[in-house]
Amino acid sequence: MSPDEVAAALGPTASISAPYGELVADLPIADWHGAALTARDVLELHFFDFLTGVDLRDQGFQVVLRVWSVAARSGLQLRTRCSADSPVLASVSDVYAGAGWHERQAAELLGIGFPGHPGLEPLLLEPGSGHPLRKDTGLAARAAIPWPGAKEPGESDRDLGARSRRKNLPLGVTARDLKQP
Amino acid sequence: MNASGELPVRSRGTIGLLEENCTVCMLCARECPDWCLHIDSHKEPLPPLGPRGRPRVRHVLDRFAIDFSLCMYCGICIEVCPFDALFWAPDFGYEATQHADLTHERGRLREWMWAAPPPAPGAGSTERAASDQR
Repeated sequence: MSPDEVAAALGPTASISAPYGELVADLPIADWHGAALTARDVLELHFFDFLTGVDLRDQGFQVVLRVWSVAARSGLQLRTRCSADSPVLASVSDVYAGAGWHERQAAELLGIGFPGHPGLEPLLLEPGSGHPLRKDTGLAARAAIPWPGAKEPGESDRDLGARSRRKNLPLGVTARDLKQP
Repeated sequence: MNASGELPVRSRGTIGLLEENCTVCMLCARECPDWCLHIDSHKEPLPPLGPRGRPRVRHVLDRFAIDFSLCMYCGICIEVCPFDALFWAPDFGYEATQHADLTHERGRLREWMWAAPPPAPGAGSTERAASDQR
């Protein structure tokens, strides 16, 4: 499967690249469902690998679908982007049945809507618990207890409030998530 | 419970503390990804070493606790300790019915220390194995 074959099959709106040694087609959101049909029926990529979403903050949510041809032993990634305010994307679960579970996961963890999906029930979370893979979701466990490493050698918990100089911050946690003393 | 007869001696069962080696540098508490290591300390003045010396300060450990209800047994605290105050011990039988009972304070961590196996011959923590040297 050459880049030209993929470009010819998916039409002029798709931009084809191979950033990681595998073909990637970036599509406008309107072509998403049609491209999945083309990938299955024209390019004969019959095997569904995965579908997931990436939170790009202001630039919306990127949705990635990877499909594979067992016969040709080659794969293709389809990518599109939906808006940050109302991330909604046509479901491809009627094209690749296996995508149904992955779309449920993306709906639950990232809050992306998939119209056309037969049942987008949450897999794991309680209703109303937000979308934990969104980057603006605070980590509740980090807000509940203060960071034990904020103390300097020779300090105790009671010394922390009295200190005026700059505080140490833990790695990998934004200041917004931290418990304010 | 000590199960070292049935387990490899280097099993990651619990973490022992050798208080004498701890300088309260806070590295383990800062590196812990689970935030399960709690250290409190205070400063004690020491007299100058000589007539022209300056007064010195020593850090004294007040509290050292590991919350094993949060610990994921990654061993980063043991790896990062520059003074070899923390050790793996194979014991694992410290189940509890309350989360709070899984927070082991310094006295209990010291007891685990005596179950820690001696270092393997030639495998001092400051020396790297020959195969590991570049």
